[in-house]
Amino acid sequence: MSGSPSAISIIVTLLVTAVQSGTVLLLPTVGEIFTERSGILNLGIEGMMLIGAFFGFVTAYRSGNPYAGLLAGAVAGACAAMLHAFVCITLRGNQTVSGLALSIFGAGLTGFYGDRFISQRLPRSIPSLEIPGLSRIPVIGPIFFDQDIVVYASYVLVAGLWFVLYRTRPGVHLRAVGENAKAADAMGVNVSATRYFWTCVGGALAGLGGAYMTCRVNPFWLQGITSGQGWIAVALVVFAMWNPLTALGGSYLFGSIMALQFQLQAAGVSINANLLAMLPYVVTFVVIVVATLIVRVRHLGTPHELGRPYVREEK
Amino acid sequence: MLTFEKRESTPLRVRILVPAGSVALGLAVGAVVMLFSRVNPLRVYAAIVKGAVGSWYALSETIAIATPLILIAAGLALVFRMKFMNIGAMGQYIIGALCGSWFALFGPSMPTWAMLSVMMIAGTAGGAAWAIIPAWLKVKWDVNEVITTLLMNYIADFILKFLIFGTWRDPFSHGFPLSKMFGSSAQLPRLFAPPSRVHLGLVFALLAAVVIWVIIRKTRFGYEGSVIGENERAARYAGISVMRNVTIAAAVSGGLAGLAGVSHVSGYARLVQQNFGSGWGYTSIIVAWLSNLNPLVAVVISFFLACIEAGGYQVQIAMRVPFGIVNVIESSILFSLLACEVLTGYRVRRVRRQSP
Repeated sequence: MSGSPSAISIIVTLLVTAVQSGTVLLLPTVGEIFTERSGILNLGIEGMMLIGAFFGFVTAYRSGNPYAGLLAGAVAGACAAMLHAFVCITLRGNQTVSGLALSIFGAGLTGFYGDRFISQRLPRSIPSLEIPGLSRIPVIGPIFFDQDIVVYASYVLVAGLWFVLYRTRPGVHLRAVGENAKAADAMGVNVSATRYFWTCVGGALAGLGGAYMTCRVNPFWLQGITSGQGWIAVALVVFAMWNPLTALGGSYLFGSIMALQFQLQAAGVSINANLLAMLPYVVTFVVIVVATLIVRVRHLGTPHELGRPYVREEK
Repeated sequence: MLTFEKRESTPLRVRILVPAGSVALGLAVGAVVMLFSRVNPLRVYAAIVKGAVGSWYALSETIAIATPLILIAAGLALVFRMKFMNIGAMGQYIIGALCGSWFALFGPSMPTWAMLSVMMIAGTAGGAAWAIIPAWLKVKWDVNEVITTLLMNYIADFILKFLIFGTWRDPFSHGFPLSKMFGSSAQLPRLFAPPSRVHLGLVFALLAAVVIWVIIRKTRFGYEGSVIGENERAARYAGISVMRNVTIAAAVSGGLAGLAGVSHVSGYARLVQQNFGSGWGYTSIIVAWLSNLNPLVAVVISFFLACIEAGGYQVQIAMRVPFGIVNVIESSILFSLLACEVLTGYRVRRVRRQSP
């Protein structure tokens, strides 16, 4: 019996980190769900996260205020997404290639400006903020209610966006645009404006996810600090079947894998560090295959208009 | 308000002006980014030109970089035409290089011609195998190939790190992540006198560009590929096997990326290191798109982007301008191209909104 409390406390410590790593993934994933629901595929998440991570870091570094960093990250991510929106919505460019260009652009831009900040640390990162009462609940309390403001905001955000999607008029319009843009247009919904708006929201959330990373989870700057997590988020969208509530579970699951990897490394387990670091990508690979199969069998998920430009004049 | 009228045909003038304009716009964006960092873009661009073609040695380094770009872009022209978005050239390049290098480092000793043949074949096969997995998942179950190929890039990169920080590391490398130097039988011949490092891979690359061009233009396989790209459903109705065509095209594309990897390792540095240009997998995508999926045009574009890459390395060393600027320029060119491409398909007119 004497060993069990420490085992539990190790797991709790692990899951506290898992929720934080999961939130880094959750924000971009939820954002991309809404972007894709409007029919726009944005593969630039990795780039937008990096841009958000960098501008968030620099703002927090210069101002000493990590919350200003979060805001700057979200704004920077939204600006980057507008580039994608302009190319894909107004100019009808290829969405896959544009997203890829955005990812390369994000890596290049932050690599160029970030050079002089390498290995700099933030003077002050986002502090923990215990919720009185709730944080006293055994196990659940420390994991979910002894976190920081971004984690709490993400709970509200997921619930709120779920409500918007399924219970409000803008949600109906969003789904209509993503499922049948022509019919939505006939209904009087402004297809382009809807797509612009949700692409922008997706970018802001991706930028926020990146900024949360540098202002809280890893409060320092490294080149390419997001290390492919944007691509894991793209895969999580399929895993979540375009539902923000499922995205919550998926993100925490992947957050746990990330956290486990760090903990094992820190504990000096004799597994090669490079093999451990590979783990999340291998798991994502398996998950995307399985999730696609489930989506196929159950005929749900993929927005019908995903990746197709809407052209009113033709036909 | 802008209106778009569909063009019946695209005039040659537009087809040349659009990529040229995109390049100019991309360079302009790069200049703006540099200005914000108080770097003089004119000096940087001048240094890039000098670093890329300023001397015979500089030019030959540029050609050595263009070699893998030409090889990879030729394969991408084939798969992208079928709308199979293989973003995994980076992983296929790494795996190809590793498969070939295994023979160089640990294989039985063989005469030069046999060793090099085995290495090139192993590299091509390794790259092809790495590409067939996502292709098969795509045609069989419609698993998004962009995500799978990208994830496989990361996996391949970790495999490389695992080996080069592990059993492949030369014990006398003083801790640097380098393998042993390849034996002389495993070194792909270089084409010119030293210090030039242009190797036989350039011949492979030019051959591949011509062969793929012929396949696309003159064969049934190439024609079927275009039909699949235009309208997959129509292709199925016409009795074209999408599965077979896409799998073969992906294998060719991955194989050429693998060949690019193994020939670069064996001809250029002649040892395996942590970074031997796998980022060119992404550069090649830009090459393929800028060349409008024409492998012969891609030869010219590869040289152009190789100039930016080679010049970028020089600028980083000489002027301490971070290499990220190269990615900024390249991706801005790609963005501009996507934005301007609307002009090749449509005539864009400004009209006043009329009141009804």
